[in-house]
Amino acid sequence: MTNSISKKRGLGFYLHIYRMIVIQDIKSKMSYRSDFIISTVGMIATNVTGFISFWILFRNFPSISGWGYYEMLFLYGFSLISLTPVQCLFDNNWSLRQNVFSGDFIKYYFRPINIFFYYQSEIFDVKGLGQLAFGIGTLVYAWAKLGIPVTVLAVVELVVFLITASLIMIALQNAAAATCFWINNSFYVLDLAYKFRDYAKYPITIFGPVFKFVFTFLIPIAFIAYYPSLVILRPDEIPVLTWLSPVIGLIFFGLSYKFWMLGVRKYNGTGS
Amino acid sequence: MKENNECAIVMKGISKEFKVLNRREGLKGSLLDLFSRDYKTVTAVDDISIEIPRGQIVGYLGPNGAGKSTTIKMMTGVLEPTRGELLVNGAVPYKNRAKNAEKIGVVFGQRSQLWWALPLTESFNILKDIYMIPDQEYKDMLEFYQSLVDIEPLLHKPVRQMSLGQRTLSDILAAFLHNPGIVFLDEPTIGLDVSMKSKIRTLIHALNQEKGTTVILTTHDMGDVDALCRRIVIIDHGKMLYDNDIEHLRRFFGSYRTLKLRLSGDKKAQLEKLTAEIPECSVGITEDEEWITVLVDEEKRKVMDVLSQIQNSYTVRDMQLEEISTEDVIRKIYEDADRENGAASEETEEGSESK
Amino acid sequence: MKVKKYITLLKAGVIESVQFRLSLFIMIVGNMLYLILIYYLWNAIYASAGTDKVNNMTFSDTLIYLVLATAIFNFMEMYAVWEIGRDIQSGKMALNLIKPMEYRSYLFWSYTGGLVTNFVATFLPTFIVIRIVTKDTIPLGLNLLYFLVSVLMAVEINYSIDFMVGTICLFTESIWGINIMKQVVVLLLSGATIPIAFFPETLKTVVYLLPFQAIYNTPLTILLGKESFENVVMMLGVQLFWCLFLGIASRVFWNISVKQITVNGG
Repeated sequence: MTNSISKKRGLGFYLHIYRMIVIQDIKSKMSYRSDFIISTVGMIATNVTGFISFWILFRNFPSISGWGYYEMLFLYGFSLISLTPVQCLFDNNWSLRQNVFSGDFIKYYFRPINIFFYYQSEIFDVKGLGQLAFGIGTLVYAWAKLGIPVTVLAVVELVVFLITASLIMIALQNAAAATCFWINNSFYVLDLAYKFRDYAKYPITIFGPVFKFVFTFLIPIAFIAYYPSLVILRPDEIPVLTWLSPVIGLIFFGLSYKFWMLGVRKYNGTGS
Repeated sequence: MKENNECAIVMKGISKEFKVLNRREGLKGSLLDLFSRDYKTVTAVDDISIEIPRGQIVGYLGPNGAGKSTTIKMMTGVLEPTRGELLVNGAVPYKNRAKNAEKIGVVFGQRSQLWWALPLTESFNILKDIYMIPDQEYKDMLEFYQSLVDIEPLLHKPVRQMSLGQRTLSDILAAFLHNPGIVFLDEPTIGLDVSMKSKIRTLIHALNQEKGTTVILTTHDMGDVDALCRRIVIIDHGKMLYDNDIEHLRRFFGSYRTLKLRLSGDKKAQLEKLTAEIPECSVGITEDEEWITVLVDEEKRKVMDVLSQIQNSYTVRDMQLEEISTEDVIRKIYEDADRENGAASEETEEGSESK
Repeated sequence: MKVKKYITLLKAGVIESVQFRLSLFIMIVGNMLYLILIYYLWNAIYASAGTDKVNNMTFSDTLIYLVLATAIFNFMEMYAVWEIGRDIQSGKMALNLIKPMEYRSYLFWSYTGGLVTNFVATFLPTFIVIRIVTKDTIPLGLNLLYFLVSVLMAVEINYSIDFMVGTICLFTESIWGINIMKQVVVLLLSGATIPIAFFPETLKTVVYLLPFQAIYNTPLTILLGKESFENVVMMLGVQLFWCLFLGIASRVFWNISVKQITVNGG
């Protein structure tokens, strides 16, 4: 960092600070080795049992609403990958409630940097990378089994829509976590958001018209896997919403950020 | 606004109100609360005006719940005042939180703001970049620190392994690191042993002298006040009780003497009896519970007179006569304020309730 | 008056849990929303299957089973592992150990208040709604009584498992890791996410030998009222066995662990 006189804090500054804090966080995680190992095993167990449930279900029912096993597997892998950023980068949202109630949250106000950034930067959850590997494996396997040709365009589309989907998930979690600024037992809200994301891996059409609307515009989990996957799986019937999803992702992320910061302004610094 | 440049902090008629839920009691009450709720407004800070010039160390005192931290939170940009005008370094803190944070340092209670698992030097490195401290200034600051306290052993220790004293020391060093114009210290010496307390006081004093930092110190420890503050501000129930030189305060209470007594028998019972027997004096017990203290205003009654009255009904085993201590002065101010409020308080409480 | 202190804890828990009405509201609405999801999902699954019965379970059976499994989970889940872990990390455990009440019971009874609230706020409405929706698939008879007995034992079994896992936290710092492992394993093997009837044969045999199925599968199977009286008695017997066995095991494990920790000064 150069000794700038103007002290402008731009993107470069934030990236630099982020890298610094994250490296320190990983270093300190390594100093609790047994915790690190057990958490990683726990994460793997989560993914494995998730997969087993999926497998048991499809042993009994070969297809759901015209979606076959490998197509569903594709959605499943897609949702796992798009859930990785929220797991890795925004995991500190889970501690927000405790921080707010103990009054410890006040410390984030005293630094001349963005509070949302400062708070989220503190934790980088390495074990989320295991989920990423699991998701990539599943997606590649399903893709191969479906025999869909691999083109540059398809890969680019996939990456763009994965990022979009991640933004939606991050937005959901931010908003759920930020409710703790207003309500006491916000754990339920966060837990609910976490449960809903389990349903992101199903084709949204099965939930009927009302919930299709709800999951598209209110709790937008349909964008986590369903809408973006259509580009690869059903290239003939892509709705407009799929192409709009990058914009929708950004909008929801922006709104969740605003909501989070509204909570920050409202907080009175005591464990109320 | 030009004259404000000489002031680190200007507060004009600042008030802060909170809405608090009135909870009903018991199982039935909490079920009723589910359906209808009753809020009341609590005024935590009530019409306070202060001007603090640069370079001053101000002791900000008051009993628990007096509104001290609420004031500090407004000054640091955490809370927005309900009414009044507040300028810190010439700007409104709540509207420019990040910019304000650049020029202040905060140590808040025993909540460390350092990265828990990291050695201090790593935390400092991050802070250096966050505050964009130029290399040379950073180096000079560390050297200056080293000349004041031996920071070398602290630098390589993770914060979570530090003792409370070391952690507080580290937090104070971190708060001064970017050479801010104002540093807020909330109870910096609470829970520390005597030698650590004096180390921290020396450090704060030296930093104030050398860097001209304005320090706002809230504390319950009169040792801190005696060692550091020339000026004190006292608030209670959100209202300002006193704002002046500490010397002025002592002079004001110059005719007061503290009579310290050791009597045979139970101190608690004696405290009660003596309070009733000599209503014109304030009677207390010292912190170490060794002495009974009687605060005598010599303009009203001579110490010898009081002593002989006590000797009539008690056996005095030991006694000392002292000038009034800061602690006694503060207690006296609280007590006087409480007595004055006593009559009026019932009205105001009802008045403050709103639907 | 030994019972009195338990009642006091229970009452305090109820008061605490109803104090936050917004979160209570969110809990109820969220729960309902979640149940509707399950309905649509399995509706689609059965519609695609082409047959009415899969593994001897009709759509109504599966729906009742899964919806009530979630409802039971919601009122039974105490997050005891978290609580124990937090008590250990904050150092509050030392204080809890010198309380004149066994820690295991203390924790349990301070939770029961919330449990009662949740039972009324989530389980009962869910039960009523699901019975109306599935048009009397659930018989109203003695099966309800057996079900209640079974649920009570399930609560104890679930808590014992939680408490044993929580005890492990005395030795490791990893609360999250331990808790998540417990949660996913219990949910799968207890049949809370997918009815055990759908499991492949070998897996089914293994699962029936483990205590987890006694938490969700047993009470729900009993509630559906298809089992003969002999079978119900058998199932309750197995549950009772696990109840006693795990109750004792978790206590013994805790006592040994505490001794070990205090000797080592951990």
